[in-house]
Amino acid sequence: MLLTFILCAPLLAGLLNLFARPRRLVELLNLAAFAGVLFLALELFHAVVAAPGSARTEWGEFLRADALSAWMVLLIAAVSLATSLYAAPYFRRDLAGAVVSERRWREFYVLTPLFATGMLLVVLVNNLGVMWIAVEATALSSVLLVALYNRQTSLEAAWKYVMLGGLGLVLALFGTILTYAAAIVHPGREMASFNWSSLLAIAPQMDHHLMTLAFIFVLVGYGTKAGLAPMHTWLPDAHSEAPSPTSAMLSGVSLKIALYALLRFHILTSACLGSGVSCSLLLCFGLFSMLLAGPFILMQKNLKRMLAYSSLEHVGLICAAVGMNAPLTIFGAMLHMGCHALTKPVLFFAAGNIHQQYHTLDFRRIGSGLMRSMPVTALLLTLAAVAICGMPPFGLFVSELMVIAGGFVSQQAWVSVVILVSLIIVFCGVLNKFSGMLLGPASGAAPRETLSVCNVAAMSLPLAALMLFTFHLPDSLRKLMEQAAAIIRGSP
Amino acid sequence: MNPLNVQTASNLITLLASFMLVLQLLLAVQSMLVTNIRLFALQSLLLAAIAAVVGYAYGAWHVYVVALLTIIGKVFFLPWLLERLVRQIKIEQEVRPFVNMPASMLICGSLTVLAYVVARPITSLERLGSNTLAVAIALLLTGFFLMINRRKAITQVLALLTMENGVMLAAIALTTYGMPLVVEIGIFFDVVIAVMVLGILVFRIRETFASMDVSKLNQLKW
Repeated sequence: MLLTFILCAPLLAGLLNLFARPRRLVELLNLAAFAGVLFLALELFHAVVAAPGSARTEWGEFLRADALSAWMVLLIAAVSLATSLYAAPYFRRDLAGAVVSERRWREFYVLTPLFATGMLLVVLVNNLGVMWIAVEATALSSVLLVALYNRQTSLEAAWKYVMLGGLGLVLALFGTILTYAAAIVHPGREMASFNWSSLLAIAPQMDHHLMTLAFIFVLVGYGTKAGLAPMHTWLPDAHSEAPSPTSAMLSGVSLKIALYALLRFHILTSACLGSGVSCSLLLCFGLFSMLLAGPFILMQKNLKRMLAYSSLEHVGLICAAVGMNAPLTIFGAMLHMGCHALTKPVLFFAAGNIHQQYHTLDFRRIGSGLMRSMPVTALLLTLAAVAICGMPPFGLFVSELMVIAGGFVSQQAWVSVVILVSLIIVFCGVLNKFSGMLLGPASGAAPRETLSVCNVAAMSLPLAALMLFTFHLPDSLRKLMEQAAAIIRGSP
Repeated sequence: MNPLNVQTASNLITLLASFMLVLQLLLAVQSMLVTNIRLFALQSLLLAAIAAVVGYAYGAWHVYVVALLTIIGKVFFLPWLLERLVRQIKIEQEVRPFVNMPASMLICGSLTVLAYVVARPITSLERLGSNTLAVAIALLLTGFFLMINRRKAITQVLALLTMENGVMLAAIALTTYGMPLVVEIGIFFDVVIAVMVLGILVFRIRETFASMDVSKLNQLKW
């Protein structure tokens, strides 16, 4: 019943938050639910690692968790817990400053657990049709979160998000239907199931023409949701206009969930057609996203928009690494997902603190000298920025090195060179903006920063975990990622 | 199933699908908002009729459920919801597209031709009716055009819904029985909730901008 409990915990919290009145109770419920999910996710992680090559199923075969799912569940749980820890003090300040109304605040606490439930369902469900429904559910539950502040710009961002997301999802649905049609090996009879695991078993017999078409539609569809260029235009808007806890969830895990859905189809397509078609498509879109992100980061004037473009770059890197299809690069992609999920929320949390202090995210209006006016936030922001640029001693350095080295090893040196160039551009952009903002004399008479324990914990714990895993990656965690990489390479 | 019945069913489905396409073209040139909503309802009714024909011809009860859900959801509930929204926020009735009517008619016509060309290599895979897949792709493409051609938020929602109709038509054409029931029901609820969420958003945009013209949503740039 483990998988069922994982799904039920946040769902229950979301429903209870509809009725719970006292603020403290609502916050506690949220926190308890996500702590519970993390605990159960660890249980699942141990269970999956203990039985390599097999998957845990429940309700017949409706819910299914293999190593890839378990890894994603772990990421969702960690980011959601950090978010719920950060959200409580963040929204208390917003409520005190009348930036959000009580009603919107409640909306956040109902929708966020539902958003998390949707994401958990995406990674735990076996049926590809239900997976599409769950992806759509995550989009619907996050739209109103993006529009939470009800400013003109946030409504615009939400509208773009829902329209482009909706368009993408219609195309993904078409791709899903084409997959289903391709899987009808015996016409005239009703298909037994639309489960991913049973489709994988019959993949070589599936209609090749339809499957190619299906993968292209799914790539464009879920790729829109994953923010791959050139379908990424909603991404910087939504990530910058959403409240910081939501930005952290969107960037930390939601993008990767869409990527996960895409990967499931990639595995199917590879099993049906050989890895050529889907790998080269993933590689193209990934590299294009990486190259596109650099210039936008260099000329960006808004802190959160810059972070959003950095997410675009990292999603592109993961996609390209999977597309390179070498054992080392796919393992690197898995590691990169984890490290990015631990780093990016910290950056968005810090951006949230800065926004609440300065009431702007514009680099020019924030000025310089953040180290003096907000020492704690600035210190954590520096560490996270160093990590996101891929500098040692943080995990992203290791994963990026793996991907680049993997490219050289597998005779794809040009890909590694392109990745290196775009990483250097992003490095310059991020460091340039951050050094200008963090160092130097404090500009103006900024008020002293007020931080609560929760706030600092939410930002420092993920960073501490990231550093710990860089120096000492537990054996079981490495095994889990290796198994996940093996699944992507087509050996379940 | 007797073969005659299947043949008749196939012809009936082709006829109904082509009416869906005709309605889509009418949507492209119709300038009254409420009429647009009703045309969409009628198109959904045709989709439900196709599902019912499939259910009858092949004796598949779960396709009847799909037909029933489509009637409840897309023929009655969603149009009612959208019309209520139109009344609530008292928007003027004209749609005012970017491209004028004759030009958009021409564009939709050429998109339909394009859809037939695109669908040609895979028409052999259709399991029901003839050219239903081409109609489905035409609905997708013209829906896409309608979406970028309209200023009003509600008409963009309608365009998205017609695209969804096209996808569901493709599902029936390609697989005979449609998707598994659990998926169909899930999609149904997703679409209903999506329109409700969009309704909330449209309402808020109207309150904040005092307009529903989405071309005014242009403050965020790169």
